[in-house]
Amino acid sequence: MEINEQKHEDIDVVILGGRFVMACAQETRERLKVLISQGQGKLIIDMENVSFIDSSACAVLVSAFKDIQLKSGRLVLVTSPVVQSLIELTRLHTIFEILPSKAVALDAFKAAQ
Amino acid sequence: VTTLNNNNNKPADITLKIPAEAEHISQLSVALHSLCFYATGKEDFAIQFQQALVEALNNVVEHAYNNQAGHEISVCYYQEHNQIRIEIIDSGESMTTLPEPVLPDFDAESGRGWWIIHCSVDNYHYQVIEQVQHSNTNILTLIKHF
Repeated sequence: MEINEQKHEDIDVVILGGRFVMACAQETRERLKVLISQGQGKLIIDMENVSFIDSSACAVLVSAFKDIQLKSGRLVLVTSPVVQSLIELTRLHTIFEILPSKAVALDAFKAAQ
Repeated sequence: VTTLNNNNNKPADITLKIPAEAEHISQLSVALHSLCFYATGKEDFAIQFQQALVEALNNVVEHAYNNQAGHEISVCYYQEHNQIRIEIIDSGESMTTLPEPVLPDFDAESGRGWWIIHCSVDNYHYQVIEQVQHSNTNILTLIKHF
């Protein structure tokens, strides 16, 4: 899986691509933990280019959500259709904030400032 | 591919094997996705079957083999009339019963796999073949109609 990190002012953006599955879950979890601990509590996880996701990846997203909550921060997800489908199947869409694109997510953070 | 049985236009039954390690699951599941799409022409069908297959393979690696290398998983693919049947075969620790397919609390970081399997295929069952001199053989069968 590809993992790229960007910084837009005080907003951290993690762009994931490829298959987000058990084989890369631990590495992704650790990178998100570091990013959240060092960041300003504003995180976008962009999965628009994720082609497949499993329950291990859902667990990583839940872990990031809990970590950002501990900082009273905000996590926004951007999903591909496959990711959105599994998130809805596991009913995690009821807790995650999901926006249609990275640009919309960045605007949402800036509008809240 | 270890088995091909294609006569009288009967779809081939195919067996694939991988080392029981997380990094090999994608190769196998993408291959099975392609077989399901080839058989049905339906991307939704193929992705749902892949979803169930990946969760089942994750469970074998994590729980049956406890993430220990040096083991193997076989997956047998059968196209039968209006359904695809896939058997996932391992010789790791057997389950005594299948877990309940229920969603955990939203903040749980495990326990969604069987729910995904339950929602993604039409039927599934589990068989343990006990052997005296060797490890048990565990067979999880996933069935989905098209």
